[in-house]
Amino acid sequence: MGSDVFEISVNFVKMVAIFLLMVNLVPMLVWVERRGSAFIQNRFGPNRVGPLGLIQLAADAIKFLFKEEFIPPKGNKALFLIAPIIALIPGAIAFGSIPLSVPIEISAFEMFGSQWGPYVFPFQSFEIGIGIVFVLGVSSLGAYSMLLAGFGSANKYSLYGALRASAQMISYELAMGLAIVGILIVYGTFDFAEMIAAQQGPLSIPLFEADHVVNKILGILPNWGVFYQPVGFILLFVSVFAETNRLPFDLPEAESELVAGYHTEYGGIKMNMFYIGEYGHMMVASALIAVFYFGGYSLGTTLDTILVEGTIVPNMSALFASLLNLFGSGWEQSTNLINVVRAFVFHGIFMAKILLFLWIFVWVRWTLPRFRYDQLMDLGWKTMLPWALANTIITAFLMLFLR
Amino acid sequence: MTSLTPIIVLTVFVAIFGVGIVVVSALLGPKRNWTKAKKIPYESGLPGQERKETKIPVKFYLTAILFIVFDIEVVFMYPWALTYTEFIDAGLGGYIFGAMAVFVGLFIFGLIWEIKSKALEWD
Amino acid sequence: MSELDILFYILSSMSVLFGALVVLTSSPIYSSLYLVMSMLSVAGIFMTLNAPFIAGIQIIVYAGAVLVLFVMVLMLFDLKRETKAFTKGRFSGFLKLVGAGLLCGFIAGAAYESVSLIMATSEEIPTNIAAAAETGFSPTTNSIKEISKLLFTKYLFAFEVLGLLLLVVPIGAVALSRVAGGTHAKH
Repeated sequence: MGSDVFEISVNFVKMVAIFLLMVNLVPMLVWVERRGSAFIQNRFGPNRVGPLGLIQLAADAIKFLFKEEFIPPKGNKALFLIAPIIALIPGAIAFGSIPLSVPIEISAFEMFGSQWGPYVFPFQSFEIGIGIVFVLGVSSLGAYSMLLAGFGSANKYSLYGALRASAQMISYELAMGLAIVGILIVYGTFDFAEMIAAQQGPLSIPLFEADHVVNKILGILPNWGVFYQPVGFILLFVSVFAETNRLPFDLPEAESELVAGYHTEYGGIKMNMFYIGEYGHMMVASALIAVFYFGGYSLGTTLDTILVEGTIVPNMSALFASLLNLFGSGWEQSTNLINVVRAFVFHGIFMAKILLFLWIFVWVRWTLPRFRYDQLMDLGWKTMLPWALANTIITAFLMLFLR
Repeated sequence: MTSLTPIIVLTVFVAIFGVGIVVVSALLGPKRNWTKAKKIPYESGLPGQERKETKIPVKFYLTAILFIVFDIEVVFMYPWALTYTEFIDAGLGGYIFGAMAVFVGLFIFGLIWEIKSKALEWD
Repeated sequence: MSELDILFYILSSMSVLFGALVVLTSSPIYSSLYLVMSMLSVAGIFMTLNAPFIAGIQIIVYAGAVLVLFVMVLMLFDLKRETKAFTKGRFSGFLKLVGAGLLCGFIAGAAYESVSLIMATSEEIPTNIAAAAETGFSPTTNSIKEISKLLFTKYLFAFEVLGLLLLVVPIGAVALSRVAGGTHAKH
């Protein structure tokens, strides 16, 4: 985790901060969902508690903490209590391995009388060389929380809902894995940071020269993955709806059929933890889509050069430095400060993309009706899997001729 | 570089966080008595319809087995996709495409057979 | 004691402990859950051995697919009666002792043989690996690419045969679970 005290402590604080970012984004998302769904359904959402109803979720969370703890007497107490905790872990670990911004490079500086050497802090909880494979593996561990929840409540509707939910989840993991194979063929690396670096620059077709008219027209668009793999984008997008049990694939939670599926017998904060896990999984999925298909934290060539080399970031850091001059002196020449501000600007871009996709999740939920379970499984096995295979084969075939 | 310590530290932290929330909620919640209605499993308020034997269909088992097989095949495609462009650059593009095409062909054959034999019918 | 040593001790003791608990627990669901923890510990050990891809695949395939199948099937069975962990009986006890003794003998023999083998070939570590280890190379993507290049050139036939073997599994599964009239016949 680092070689000296400063690095270890910064890494630990960064890890905790990213996890808390994920956890704190969940009330925001629930607020967006409730207000957004109200807006779509032509009614008001929560708007009493606090301005625009923003404190509603904090009030709800505090209310849930004070609820009575209920454990079904015939159920398995250990599994019943462990299941919501297991629901949190895959989302947190997967979110920690996605780079949220450029790495922060701190050159050597002096503090408290001793020299602290040059560091590079990657803007993620931990670095993994096998980014995608790890995220997929950890996401597939999310099936256990559903199964244990369904089994631990001594309710056959819970059990049936849990089995259906996990069967649905594993069916769509195949389509997800195959859509990712398409991306791997195009970029040739597992690492997220390398993929984002490969998406810089303008779009171009390698068969034509650089100043051919086709390339000039296409050069307006950034070199994002969605232009290389549109079918893969659609497949991944639909698969993550099914993975996270979101409408239109949320029959395991359907009210009319199974009461509330695998979390029927849960109440209070334990039920909320399932939702934190589900929204966390949604955030990981949005981050993955942004990294693979939409350039991650970079915005394509022109905006990147403005931000990196040009006018905006040194001005922002100059503003910061002048603010900090109130407390000390000599902050203007600090390249460390420029690096930190730049990392946070890129992080803001990435979060904007993630929030856009999360809004699309909410929007689709309140727009489309729900699939029946057999339609859902048929879609997963008989439609998405063949399309994903076709996508892989066609991508491989095209790569043979474009090289 | 990959290192395992941050992953373990993060997992332990998240687990402690979760356990902490559950414990805090258990301590803060009111303790009420057990009524008769609380003890039976929740079935939307209908009187309990527990049968002795609940037969759960075998489709779940088949879905899980097919998932394992196809997951292994997808996992074999990952190293293929990783070095695909290197093989093309070395002039072996057709060969590597053909090698995987045979593998995927077996995969597709299995999928078509299994769809035709109605192993994935859900009603 | 470097960081890798501490990690190795923790992870290997976890995997042995959970492996023992798999056998000693009397409830089947707990057994499979302990097996999940054991698989995750083994994946951690792979990661400390600089094989993160194998660790990832272990998590995807073993912990994420095979053991999900186990847990799902055990929940389908709805076992009400939990069997005892230790059974009594003189003949079965004798067989258990013989089996355990054979296993310990095999492990001890294998360890003894491999110690002499490791000592004998320590001078013959290929020079490029030794030199690369000194410069601190990052073997993550390189080793995955090396594995895949080997897989598709030298071991191509094994790869294709593996595809054929994987084809046999769903056919066998469907044949085993075939009920007269299809999987959703009334019975």
